[in-house]
Amino acid sequence: MTFDVVYGLSPLLVVALGALLLMLAEAFGKPNPQGLAPTGEVSDAGAGRAGELGMGAAVVLFVGAALSLGVWLAGPDNLVGLELTRPYLIWDRFTVFVCFTLCLGGGLSCLLAGGYLTEHEIDRAEFFPLVLFSTVGAMALAAAGELLTLFVALETMSLGVYALVGLRRTPRSSEAALKYFLLGSFAAALMLFGAALLYGATGRTDLAGIGQAIAAIGQGEGPGAAQVLIALVLVVVGLAFKVSAVPFHMWTPDAYEGAPTPATSYMAVAVKTAAFAVMVRVLLIAFGDERLTSWASGWPPVLATLAVASMTVANLVAGRQSSVKRMLAYSSIAHAGYALVAVVATIRSPAAEGSILFYLLTYTVSTAGAFGALILCGSRGKEAVSYEDLAGIAKRHPAAAMAFSLFLLSLAGVPPTAGFFGKLYVFQAAIDAELYVLTVVGLLNSLVGAYYYLRVIVFMYMREPAPGATLAVPMRSGYVASALVIAAVLVIALGVLPNVTLEWAAIATVGRS
Amino acid sequence: MEALVKVFPANDFSLLAVILCLPLIGAFINGVFGKRLGREGVTLMALAAVGGSFLAAVVSFLVLRQAQAGSEQAARLTYVAWDWLSVSGRHDLGSIPIKVAFSLDALNATMCLVVTGVGFLIHLYSTKYMEKDPGYHRFFAYLNLFIFSMLVLILGDSLPILFVGWEGVGLCSYLLIGFWFTDEKNAQAGKKAFIVNRIGDFGLLVAMALFVYHVGALDWIGIEGGRSRLLEPVKLWPIGNVVPLSSALPESAAAWLNTPRYVTAASLVGLALFLGCAGKSAQIPLYVWLPDAMAGPTPVSALIHAATMVTAGVYLVCRLSSVFVLAPAVMFTIALVGALTALLAASIAFAQNDIKKVLAYSTVSQLGYMFLGVGVGAFSAGFFHVVTHAFFKACLFLGAGSVIYAMHKRIHDTDTSQDMRKMGGMKKYMPVTFATFVGAWVAIIGFPGTSGFFSKDEILLKALTSQIQSPLPGGKITQMTRAGEQTVLELWQWPSWGNQVLFAMGVVGAVMTAFYMSRLVFGIFWGDFKGWTIKRKWKAPAHHDHDDHDHPHHHHDPDEPLEGPAPVESPWQMWLPLAVLAALSLGGGFLNAHLLHLHPMDDWLGPVFATAAQNVTAAEGGLSLVLAFGIGAFALGLGAAYWVYRLQGGEPARAFVERMPGLHRWAQDKFYVDEAYDEAVVESAAALADTAAAADKYVVDGIVAKLTSGVVQLAGAGLRFVQTGKVHTYAAVMVVGTAAVGWFLIAPHAQARTVHQSAGQYGVVAAPGFGYQYRWDTDGDGQWDSEEFSSQMQQDVTLGFGENKTLRLQVKNAFGRTAERSITVSRPKLDPTRGPATVIQIEQQPDGTVRGVLPGQQPTGGVQ
Amino acid sequence: MLETYLPMLFIFVIALTIGAVMFFGGQLIGPKNPTPEKMMPFECGNDSQGTAGVRLNVKFYLTAILFVVFDIEVVFIYPWAALFKSLGWTGFATMLAFIAALLIALAYCWKKGALEWES
Repeated sequence: MTFDVVYGLSPLLVVALGALLLMLAEAFGKPNPQGLAPTGEVSDAGAGRAGELGMGAAVVLFVGAALSLGVWLAGPDNLVGLELTRPYLIWDRFTVFVCFTLCLGGGLSCLLAGGYLTEHEIDRAEFFPLVLFSTVGAMALAAAGELLTLFVALETMSLGVYALVGLRRTPRSSEAALKYFLLGSFAAALMLFGAALLYGATGRTDLAGIGQAIAAIGQGEGPGAAQVLIALVLVVVGLAFKVSAVPFHMWTPDAYEGAPTPATSYMAVAVKTAAFAVMVRVLLIAFGDERLTSWASGWPPVLATLAVASMTVANLVAGRQSSVKRMLAYSSIAHAGYALVAVVATIRSPAAEGSILFYLLTYTVSTAGAFGALILCGSRGKEAVSYEDLAGIAKRHPAAAMAFSLFLLSLAGVPPTAGFFGKLYVFQAAIDAELYVLTVVGLLNSLVGAYYYLRVIVFMYMREPAPGATLAVPMRSGYVASALVIAAVLVIALGVLPNVTLEWAAIATVGRS
Repeated sequence: MEALVKVFPANDFSLLAVILCLPLIGAFINGVFGKRLGREGVTLMALAAVGGSFLAAVVSFLVLRQAQAGSEQAARLTYVAWDWLSVSGRHDLGSIPIKVAFSLDALNATMCLVVTGVGFLIHLYSTKYMEKDPGYHRFFAYLNLFIFSMLVLILGDSLPILFVGWEGVGLCSYLLIGFWFTDEKNAQAGKKAFIVNRIGDFGLLVAMALFVYHVGALDWIGIEGGRSRLLEPVKLWPIGNVVPLSSALPESAAAWLNTPRYVTAASLVGLALFLGCAGKSAQIPLYVWLPDAMAGPTPVSALIHAATMVTAGVYLVCRLSSVFVLAPAVMFTIALVGALTALLAASIAFAQNDIKKVLAYSTVSQLGYMFLGVGVGAFSAGFFHVVTHAFFKACLFLGAGSVIYAMHKRIHDTDTSQDMRKMGGMKKYMPVTFATFVGAWVAIIGFPGTSGFFSKDEILLKALTSQIQSPLPGGKITQMTRAGEQTVLELWQWPSWGNQVLFAMGVVGAVMTAFYMSRLVFGIFWGDFKGWTIKRKWKAPAHHDHDDHDHPHHHHDPDEPLEGPAPVESPWQMWLPLAVLAALSLGGGFLNAHLLHLHPMDDWLGPVFATAAQNVTAAEGGLSLVLAFGIGAFALGLGAAYWVYRLQGGEPARAFVERMPGLHRWAQDKFYVDEAYDEAVVESAAALADTAAAADKYVVDGIVAKLTSGVVQLAGAGLRFVQTGKVHTYAAVMVVGTAAVGWFLIAPHAQARTVHQSAGQYGVVAAPGFGYQYRWDTDGDGQWDSEEFSSQMQQDVTLGFGENKTLRLQVKNAFGRTAERSITVSRPKLDPTRGPATVIQIEQQPDGTVRGVLPGQQPTGGVQ
Repeated sequence: MLETYLPMLFIFVIALTIGAVMFFGGQLIGPKNPTPEKMMPFECGNDSQGTAGVRLNVKFYLTAILFVVFDIEVVFIYPWAALFKSLGWTGFATMLAFIAALLIALAYCWKKGALEWES
């Protein structure tokens, strides 16, 4: 019994324990004078040790991923003890798959940070405990089956990320963090209000119970139905903020640009993945009633509109950016749009939940890889920021350019990369659910999207740098390189052998009634 | 043998992976480490990779023979590497798994042997031919990659895998044509090949989509099993039920225009596939890229553009023979296009002086023969010609390469060194090359007893006697309508004159082949050497001591008489492959010498084509007639060439050219097809561009640009307005967004859809909504049926033909707000001429034949 | 159903009205006779010093937040203490883990110097 719980929750526990230990290691270890800049003062116990701490954090997260895999293979349904955690944490295959993706994305970001913080002399080794705590929150969020757990997990995840954004302490970074914090609190407050209304209307806080209570509410006017509808509005908005769907995306470009790049990568992959997981669970379990999933008046048309808006606005604006990092921020909004298509498809297609999970996995490896390649392309004082900085980098550093191209192609959805199959299965689910308009809009948008991804490749391979321009000089870091290798292997492996993973994703469902 | 069968079971025949992976490994190592390995290392790697692959192919061949020996069925060895993905097909056909799977049967085992065997010889040859090239390792990496792709193409067990290989060989061909990419012309040729092949690939993609839709399978077994479904009629015209605006026309014209036109799905698939085949195998109208592709190194021409890749189209037709025979019209088209291509290419070859160009057009012409063969349903004859052609054409190309190699000692300009007017008398200087070249020459012109004689005569015989039967008895597909039985589609019948025409074209082509090939051989090997003045003990001037393709513009002053040593025989690495190929050219015919009642090849391939053969009829006899014509054609062509170029020293030809300069110029310039293409494609593109430019200037710049710039500025201002970086703006947008979402969910939405329950019975179902209540006005009197709202979501309506009815629906949501909508339900008029779409049932008999069956009873119900 | 909230609306409206009446009423009916002294901010009879927005040391907030964190933990410990017997060893172990985590956090704050006012 106890073993079941401990083994089942082991990914969560390991990461939490790792976070505590890493915190101690960060505070009580000796600063490493060699890792410091020649002029750097020893301002912090973690100074100069970003590399080793990053390694530690990455190991913890990869162990978490491995344990998720183990729990998957054991089958959470076979671990009867896990019933104990219900309804607070619902530890099913869906959760475990998301946990794997989260640990993978977090681990890659930590490896990136190990190289990035050292290179850019950001002596803030708190980064790693923060990422780990945030990941714990994200995993709990993915598992949350009850409103209070959900809110606590959401805040655990978000608070860590707010701090990560402001880690660099430049005015820009602080501004980004403040914006993200304010708007995030706003969204969280809306969601909390929604949760309160739900409790008021149904008298339950567990999602399954809420779902049953909603089903029991009859037709006609009444405070119950109205409260549920308002709660639905608020919850949808709160979740849409977290996945940064248009028009709740405004914070995204600023926060992504201001944050140190590894933190951006973490936000783009982990926060979004967890938010999608909880969105699917809340919408299908609590708001899964036939009348609320009605095509005329429920949440599907709302999410469909958000999906279309996200894809279209983000793709159009992304093409006009001059900063690659900002372009990637808009690209992440567009990808949220594609994933939303699959969320809408869950109402009619049983394959849609699996396609979301698979999509999030492919998105995680491609995006973490793309940010990693962007990190690799720049070094201290010679960062790669704009397209021009990347001009002709293929000649100077072919390996970096090739890695970057691979991830961009995957984001654009070119076969045979992971991104292609991610999109393919999302659109297949959408067609299966007879969402033809959404599918066509999605396909058109992927074509538009290909433009700005390819533009980076064009700059890298076919442009000469303007004479006298400051060139981005790629950095050398084993951490970044190993993160890129892992991501690249996964991108190709998921592109060439998508079937096994997809089958695994397909049987991971939230088990709606 | 027993042990082998045990180690490699038929359903998990991992030796296929070995055959495939060796060249891939070779390509990888040579491509990545080639520079460090050094020439010897690269040579060893490349030869070992292809040689090993060849050995594995031989072993596989033996295992397959063993498996085939005991059974009537076609033996198959398969190897599934992994499950790739699955495609959802039509709902009634389920999802289609696509596996990365490879299979070996008699057809591709033979092809595999040819590819690896001839490939190995050409690799060996290239080690010397390319010896001094700075891109040596790159060349072998591409070459190995090509072998790998070709093997994927022929071993792939489904169309998508074949397509991967198909694209792969295209890519390698592109890379190798442009191998000396510093030369602008070569880069152009590479581009041309690339573009023309894309047109063909489009056909292949369309065919794949049609297979997914109609058959629900993409692997060979699945396609063959489900082929009967391809006999479904597909309505091509009109799109929709009537042509728009046709009512404005006179009634008879409108009726004619609106008559539905059907074809079978098999015809569509066949045409799409043939478009792909024509692109890859250089048939009319997509042959233009192949002669230009000779810009690449000569071994490449031999391997890719003569022996292997270009025959992929023929292979595909053979592979899907069971599908092609369902469409006799397509088969006849293939045969006719093949015959026309054979004639056209041969006539162009008459007037070419560049020896590689002559061989290139000869290849196009021979490919035409192969399509003629498969087009009349003689799949094994056509495929046999693929094999023999691989032998003699590879030998001819390599021989030509050997001559060019010798010429290149003193003439560095590529074009001049390949000009046969500069050659002559090589017989004396290059005896081995001469002997082997002659061996291949007698084969291609069909000297009795050589491989070309047997394979070509077999094709001619079948062209005269073989026909494709209509796949359905009665030759038509009918359907039942209320007005009685109507014929939807009359299947095309093989014309009675067809065989005579095809045969005649084939014979004329054979005469022409014999003539121009003899002209080539006489020009190169007989007569006096005209390349340069031969001096004994000639010493190379100091600055000419390297012979390098880095210096293509290493011209001599043309006025200065060129001097040099006597041309010498090429080294053994080059003449050994020549000798082997020449021997095969001479002796290979006995694999399928029907004249001598030797036909191991036919027996071997028989089971593979067994399904297709059910739809092919061949008349008896005609053998002696064909023999007479075949030998006559050979004798006529050779005799004429001998008379013109040996006895008269080329005088009649010159006289002919003087008398008819236009015709000669016309042929020499390839009938201006390239120019016509330029004219048609490039010029029309240019015209389009001009129009667009004008439109751009006046319309776009004038109106649209001003409008768009205004809109963009407005949008930019709007964007700036929101993406200000100010957090309160962001919050305001969020509030607006929340309000919009709230408005949508709080406002009531009255929507309903109509469902057709049974004849005349319709249901109007209101969309569900949380807290919604409904009231209806079903009688159309403007009054609600009941003032009270209820939870009744559905109303049933019964209608007669041509009637319609309007209902009103009002919903009230949880907030007490209401919305309403009116819905009109209508039932179409009875149309006696239109029945259900497909009534004929197509069944596959136990013996594999396909038969259309009319259903026993009158169809009922169903209006639309 | 919205009728349920009608009283709340009334209270809201009444509160607004009272506030508005007092604010604008005072402005409207109050005598206006400004002198420089009257226009100064009122600060216990002294002349005001500096600006109104005094910046406090950031340590103040840090300490305050730490106080909140460690104060809230008591909220969890009280109910546990009340049910100590019935929760048994499992409850004890859980609470130990909770306190250990807090201790680690305390150690971290300490080592990082968050508890030192001077420096």
